[in-house]
Amino acid sequence: MTDMTRRNFSRLAGASLATLSTSLFAPAVLGQGKPRLVVIGGGPGGATVARYVAKESAGAVDVTLIEPLKQFTTCFFSNLYVGGFRDYNSITHGYDKMQKSGVKMVHAMAAGIDRGKREVTLADGSKVGYDRLVVAPGIDIKFDSVPGYSEAAAEVMPHAWKPGAQTQLLVKKLNALEDGDLIVMVAPPNPYRCPPGPYERVSMFAHVLKTKGHTKSKIIVLDPKPTFSKQGVFMEGWEKHYPGVIEWQDPKVHGGIKGVNPATGEVITDFATYKARLVNVIPAQMAGKIARDAGLTNQSGFCPIDAVSMKSTVDPNIFVTGDASIAGDMPKSAFAANSQAKVAAMTIRAELTKSRAFPARYANTCWSLIAPDDDIKVGAAYEPGDGKIKQTSGFVSQRGESADLRKQNYKESVDWYNGIVADVFG
Amino acid sequence: MTMRVRGAALVLTAGFFVAAAAETAATRAADIELGRYLSSECVTCHGAAKAHDTIPNIYGISETTFAEVVKAYRDKSLANPVMQNIAGRLSDDDIAALAAYFATAERQQ
Repeated sequence: MTDMTRRNFSRLAGASLATLSTSLFAPAVLGQGKPRLVVIGGGPGGATVARYVAKESAGAVDVTLIEPLKQFTTCFFSNLYVGGFRDYNSITHGYDKMQKSGVKMVHAMAAGIDRGKREVTLADGSKVGYDRLVVAPGIDIKFDSVPGYSEAAAEVMPHAWKPGAQTQLLVKKLNALEDGDLIVMVAPPNPYRCPPGPYERVSMFAHVLKTKGHTKSKIIVLDPKPTFSKQGVFMEGWEKHYPGVIEWQDPKVHGGIKGVNPATGEVITDFATYKARLVNVIPAQMAGKIARDAGLTNQSGFCPIDAVSMKSTVDPNIFVTGDASIAGDMPKSAFAANSQAKVAAMTIRAELTKSRAFPARYANTCWSLIAPDDDIKVGAAYEPGDGKIKQTSGFVSQRGESADLRKQNYKESVDWYNGIVADVFG
Repeated sequence: MTMRVRGAALVLTAGFFVAAAAETAATRAADIELGRYLSSECVTCHGAAKAHDTIPNIYGISETTFAEVVKAYRDKSLANPVMQNIAGRLSDDDIAALAAYFATAERQQ
């Protein structure tokens, strides 16, 4: 029998089995006891891995998802909540369908990882053993990256870059503004979660001001970067919908961000001091604490991974997905995390059940709303290459696109949101 | 030789002798396992879709229609850049595998 014939026999077997089984990847013979997958973090990077391994192994892998929150509010689409296009409940999702997906939920904080013993320690001291571990804690904020800023200062000058109470605080402050009040955003340096996010948020600020009839208010964006994602189309949109309202300053204009003073509401740059009623400080970021404590990060503060599998380059039993990982050309986004999670899940399922593996492929698309029915997007495909996750193709919205196309983009983004939250949370 | 026996045994045990015998180069079966893996990329956007949505439902559509539409995105005769991007790297075998999978698969959620 030739190799080709052998492959075809396997294909036929697989094709026909598909009509008989809910999963194609259940192992024919299980070893003693189920192999154990533990996932830390119930966001797009973690919950997706948990669901896919449970589903694709048809129960052959014991899957546990550790997530302290009972309800997860998505960072993606939280700007639409800021702009009044979504309510908070519509971006908040429970884990009640995880059990049905075959995932055991543990609502606890993972306090530490003993890589030698292959155990996760929970906040109450109990241990959860694993054969494979996925670490998907998302980001932590580097509060000290902006002088004068701190966790306490975030109660006055919210970052709102992690979902939940911070986002609600930002909206409360935004809605309390009076005409003529100044908004200042301190934008983050690369790399950070959701590259177009700060600029979509600024658009939503401007939309709220416009809706309230505030004609004297202004928004200043102090950016440590010389350029930003989808810059051309964002700026075109700002000029079209909010002329004269948004002033974006690159480092050449502001000369450097010297710090903030939460007590006075001041933001100090090399050339000016701004006193604002709403200051949104988005500091630099790093991988979540548990990844750092476990030694999975490098000097960048994020976790190096193998592009063919999302496996940590530090520990072969651990995978890192989502914003905590160094994903090469991929941005830190929910779409990207969900895509990485599927590569990790496929690899884990293949390793733990000795079943078939496939080449890694990744994709991302990010939609951003500038104004009602004016939505832009950027996207790309990626594959392992040159020792990283490498972009192989891509696109970005262009200036001067029709209103119909932008409206279609918005509808598409809403459909995508419905799709991805169902994919992540069940 | 060991592999040969094992491969043949798998097919026979599963009771697909007729299907295996019927296969020729011209009627090669789609690789459903591959289709299922590749489908995870589609599900991100299409998994919860209704027929009338901007992102349409793709479960249960015919293999022919699926393949025609995806190939049209691949050669950019259909316009959406998100789909052009996704379809751009799919081979004919990939598309056949996906088409075969979605023609019979039930929605996962």
